[in-house]
Amino acid sequence: MLIELKDTTKIYNQGKPNEVTALSDVSLRIEEQTMICLQGASGSGKSTLLAIMGCVFPPTSGSAAIAGKQLSRMPDRFLTIHRRETIGFIFQQFNLLPRLSVLDNITLPLLPLGISPPERKARARKLMEHLSISHRESFPAGQISGGEMQRVAIARALINNQPIILADEPTAHLDSRLSMEFMQIMADLKKEGKTIIIASHDTLVSEHPAIDKIINIKDGRIHVP
Amino acid sequence: MAMIPKGLEKQLNTLDFALSSLWRRKLKNLGIMMVFSLVIFLLGSFQMLTGALTSSADAVLENTPEITIQKMSAGRQEAIPQTYIKKLNSIYGIRAIIPRVWGYYFDESTLANFTVLALDHNAMPNGSKLNLTLSDGHFPKKTETGTAVLGGSVQDILELGDRRVFSLFRPDLSLKSFQVVGIFSKQTDLLTNDLIVMNVDDARDLFAIPTSHVTDLCVYVANPTEIETIAKKIAGLLPDTRVLTKSQIQKTYQVVFSWRSGFASICLLTALVAFAILAWDKASGLSPEEKREIGILKILGWETGDILAVRFWESTLVSALAFIIGCTAAYIHVAFFDASLLKPVMVGWSVIHPPFKLLPTVTLADLLLIFTFSVLPYLGATVIPAWRCSTVPPDSAIR
Amino acid sequence: MFLNSWSLGLTLAGLIILVLGVFACRTAIRVLRHWNPSSDTNLQITLENEIWLASTLVAYGLGFQILTLVLFVLAADTFCQVIVGAMCATGALLANNFGMPALLVKIAGVFLYGFWIVLHKLDISSETYPLVKIKYIYLLLILPLLFADITLQTLYIAFLSPDIITSCCAVVFGSSAETGRNLIVGFSQTGLLFLYYGSIIVLAAVGIILLKRWLLPLAVVFSAGWLWFLGVATVAIISVFSSYIYAMPYHNCPFCILKPEYHYIGFALYFTLIPAAFFGLSTALVEPFKNRVDLAGQVTKYQRTAIKISLIFLLLLAAISSYHYLLYKISGGES
Repeated sequence: MLIELKDTTKIYNQGKPNEVTALSDVSLRIEEQTMICLQGASGSGKSTLLAIMGCVFPPTSGSAAIAGKQLSRMPDRFLTIHRRETIGFIFQQFNLLPRLSVLDNITLPLLPLGISPPERKARARKLMEHLSISHRESFPAGQISGGEMQRVAIARALINNQPIILADEPTAHLDSRLSMEFMQIMADLKKEGKTIIIASHDTLVSEHPAIDKIINIKDGRIHVP
Repeated sequence: MAMIPKGLEKQLNTLDFALSSLWRRKLKNLGIMMVFSLVIFLLGSFQMLTGALTSSADAVLENTPEITIQKMSAGRQEAIPQTYIKKLNSIYGIRAIIPRVWGYYFDESTLANFTVLALDHNAMPNGSKLNLTLSDGHFPKKTETGTAVLGGSVQDILELGDRRVFSLFRPDLSLKSFQVVGIFSKQTDLLTNDLIVMNVDDARDLFAIPTSHVTDLCVYVANPTEIETIAKKIAGLLPDTRVLTKSQIQKTYQVVFSWRSGFASICLLTALVAFAILAWDKASGLSPEEKREIGILKILGWETGDILAVRFWESTLVSALAFIIGCTAAYIHVAFFDASLLKPVMVGWSVIHPPFKLLPTVTLADLLLIFTFSVLPYLGATVIPAWRCSTVPPDSAIR
Repeated sequence: MFLNSWSLGLTLAGLIILVLGVFACRTAIRVLRHWNPSSDTNLQITLENEIWLASTLVAYGLGFQILTLVLFVLAADTFCQVIVGAMCATGALLANNFGMPALLVKIAGVFLYGFWIVLHKLDISSETYPLVKIKYIYLLLILPLLFADITLQTLYIAFLSPDIITSCCAVVFGSSAETGRNLIVGFSQTGLLFLYYGSIIVLAAVGIILLKRWLLPLAVVFSAGWLWFLGVATVAIISVFSSYIYAMPYHNCPFCILKPEYHYIGFALYFTLIPAAFFGLSTALVEPFKNRVDLAGQVTKYQRTAIKISLIFLLLLAAISSYHYLLYKISGGES
């Protein structure tokens, strides 16, 4: 089991007047090589769930095991180390550094791993070729089209060969053709053995044939319609 | 390719990123670096100037006799009879007493002030060494009247060129001519630039000092620990004189000098504090763009320590570059422009000294001191802001 | 003698180190009071962040401390110009009762901060942060030393007046029996050299054995040996090697070798001796942390690295210190 949450609860500002329970007693299991669509309105706890599955912070209570590691009570430093080995992120705004070149953006996760420049370049070129953005290698990431930015973001999520890909509203800024293209790439990645979790309202995502399961979040709980 | 350990490779990667990060914000960083370079430039000029002046001061003191005796009358100095020497014969421990004429000659045609020094250099304990300070020629012998040794700028001001003869005016405006027998070498410029050395008899003739009188007596003492006792005895025997010991001169000198340097240091410290505040402000003011960038890096797997390392490299690169620029500029300022910006503050005696070449000697110690005054406060001021920005939570990138 | 750029520089550096130390200790107190790894409160998250602050501050403090140590010696070297009777840093440091203690406290500081950083690295290598309490108690214990450091330094500068007649290194360390203030008496040069090179060989041998097979008693011998060697090497540098560097039989001074006239060779000597001794010494000192939860592997890894580093520096030290000596012997007394 790649992701296993049991009674996972996340409370922000615990013990303070502005205490918020964002997630309460969520249990779920996600197997390897599956593609999940996460749905829920804003404020439903969807982002919090995504963050816990992405090893961004540990749950307040309950257990969360991601790729064989219990996150509870793991200090920030080890969450980070675990995160960079396990999770590849694709964000809604792509979150690229606009003034850095495409190549440098893709290799950002490799810098703290102590990987040498030639190897970084080699890995990134392979991915860029695969995603057909090689011609943009030395362009600043802020000066390429939305579809290309999305591909750069995908390349960055794959650069360390992480087993899990988390995507947060990845198609929100893309037209339907590019969205379909994106889903096709994801479907291919699933075939290659990746586990993919996409948080999205987009019906193009939720109705895509490669999606194995749709999880609905409402008021911090898994909603079963 | 050689195997580089992972830890080192990681540091190199962070350094690489820090460089590109500095480059991406070049306007802001260039501004900081310019201000920082300026502060280091001032500090460095000041330190190098102090060093050059200290070495010149040491050189002055090295040739100062242990005790100087001057005759006082109505609170003013007047010529001292050479016969006083005999009165001191009874004091045990005196190595030598040398009569000296030391005064200033004002040249009205060029408005220049020369220092005239006349003494029997062979009678001085280290007299024979003095010939080494000449670039050519020799000191006037006791019997050689009408001869002189000149410092570099005296030669220039009198527009001598290759001529070896020049004249000076006596108080009654009659002319006295001299034959140049030696020129001081450039290395001693600081001390000898405005100097004319001649025979005691010639000096008396030039200044119209009565026969067998001089301006002061130089007493050389064999044992340094006896200086004070001997000075007291001299004062007892010659009540109408002022007795100056070398350490008194040194102390007076030191007090003036360290007051000046301390004052300048404090002024510079103020500049430094202002700069540290600026550095703090610049480092802590996180723009939304920077904050977003750090959030992205952190969610992509950069540890807090990695961000701190990037900030450390940024600070180090900025300060190292500013340090190099500042120190180089300071050296050029002191060596080639005679520290023209600071000299009025530092050199009290520049009024009587004609311009001289400053030769800064830069040692590791000086550089380390400049480093302590500049880079240390900068790094110290940026460490907490750097930490603050490194603690941007990673989830700020997915909110 | 405060109105002097060296005094001001030292004071400035001392104050910066003190401020860094106080900030680090503030974190230490907060961590000791509120640290609770099982809670998910904002305070705990803040504390986890502050751990980074504390370690960065101490790391900066260590760097600055090394710098001030050098600065202090160089400052003493310039002070000697205004102190009657002092001809080098030794004389200036002995000009009052605070000079030498200040120097020793500064050296101790380098070792103590360094060891804190070792502890910190070991601590954060485990997910449970097993040394967190020890680490911060230790940090709080360093704070008085920081105060002692700046106090001694300030007193030294304050009581340094140009009037005091002090002894110079020739009197203090010289082999001539002019005065009773001979710090190093009763060591014959050959005996000392025998001890010095003997210790180097023994330490190297023990280190190599430890790298092959870990034996606790031997590790203790190794670390204790380094403490001993630190002393022997210092004495050897002062009373044997320095005079070969100066090429003057009666000039024995630990500080003049730092001057540009001798190509700063003193820095090479001390900057190999001190790190070598530090890593050698810490080998056995970290041993107690082996039985902490999941720290054994990291401790062993550190010990192996520490032994390797100390041996490399030892080799360098042996080479650098012998250079002038051999040069003198080979060239038959001329150098």
